[in-house]
Amino acid sequence: MKSIGRIWNSLANPDRIPRLYALVLGIVLIAGFLIPIGLNDHQLYPRPEPQLQINAQDPLAPYDRGGVTFEQRGIVKAQYPQYLPAIGEITAYLSPIAMGVSGTTLYYGTSIYSSPGGLIDEILYYTRGFDTVLESSILMMAFVIASFIALNFTMRRDD
Amino acid sequence: MVVSILGSQIIGIIPLGDIVFYMTSFNLFMFAAALAFTFIIAISKTETQVEAEFGSLGDREIKVAKKEFKFRRFLAIICGLATAGAMVTGDIFDFTLFVCLIGIVNIGIVGAVKQIDVLDSAFQYGLIAMIASTPLFVGASLILAATGTISILAINSLTYTTPMMLFGSILLFLGVAGETGVAPFFATKAEMFRTPGSPFLLIIHLSSLLVIVRVIEILLIINKPF
Repeated sequence: MKSIGRIWNSLANPDRIPRLYALVLGIVLIAGFLIPIGLNDHQLYPRPEPQLQINAQDPLAPYDRGGVTFEQRGIVKAQYPQYLPAIGEITAYLSPIAMGVSGTTLYYGTSIYSSPGGLIDEILYYTRGFDTVLESSILMMAFVIASFIALNFTMRRDD
Repeated sequence: MVVSILGSQIIGIIPLGDIVFYMTSFNLFMFAAALAFTFIIAISKTETQVEAEFGSLGDREIKVAKKEFKFRRFLAIICGLATAGAMVTGDIFDFTLFVCLIGIVNIGIVGAVKQIDVLDSAFQYGLIAMIASTPLFVGASLILAATGTISILAINSLTYTTPMMLFGSILLFLGVAGETGVAPFFATKAEMFRTPGSPFLLIIHLSSLLVIVRVIEILLIINKPF
């Protein structure tokens, strides 16, 4: 009985909590190796084979979804197409600079030019646009907190 | 559209592309509770702690400075809005992002205080919140891999449960437990409450309470134990 009380008491120390959490997480992740892998073949956001577009010498390599801007829809799948009336229409858009760059190199799709002005990833900006809003607000909150703490040293310096 | 989730009728949906917010009477109540509490926090002032001085009759007041007050009120409002969003979202990845936002804002609410003990425990809580983002997103992606979709409405209509979905939901729960700091990992948060500025600290409590209720609902939808 006494030892159980000691374990509970040791949990009251904040310094030990991250270690405890890391231990629990490690045990669960190692136990995960025993789980049989059952993947679903009908994925919501399918991708081509990893090296397929690169081997086909496509300059837009991992992001080529086909289509012509505003004329022919590219290949973009969605869970609820009824809520997305314009899906696939601008996925083939390239800015003038992007067109020039993609004519000179085979690695345009993975370069810094491709984002955000060059290639428009519709899954990121249209299908799941609210996720992008949330992600950037998480980043913004982190910067807000970090800058507040850096500007006002939140510690009693005389202690 | 007559669809029921866990026995309650869907009152309405808010489609934002693939991310569909759905409302049942259950999570609509939690949504309204989070919003009402956020409103109360937005119009309230902080408490003042009074410490008795030893050996004399004097008291010492611990007040919250105005700058700090404004900053903490801003973060508390963001935390309340994120909690309200997590209550009604119908998408697992969106839910994890809301929980992540709650976790990082919770650190900020106590990061503005001037007590070293509280800052130390906030640092430990921050470590857990950062570690917990791994199982949180791994859990969501494993559920996506196992079912092919992350829309809760679509998962609700599936008829099977695989071990990988169970493992994904265990990781999801572990991630939420770390981000919100529930039972075995509670000590870091308990130390954080010792600082003045009561109504803003209570949103930390309320958000973790509501998020845990909501994640249990999501896990019941995914695993269908009944």
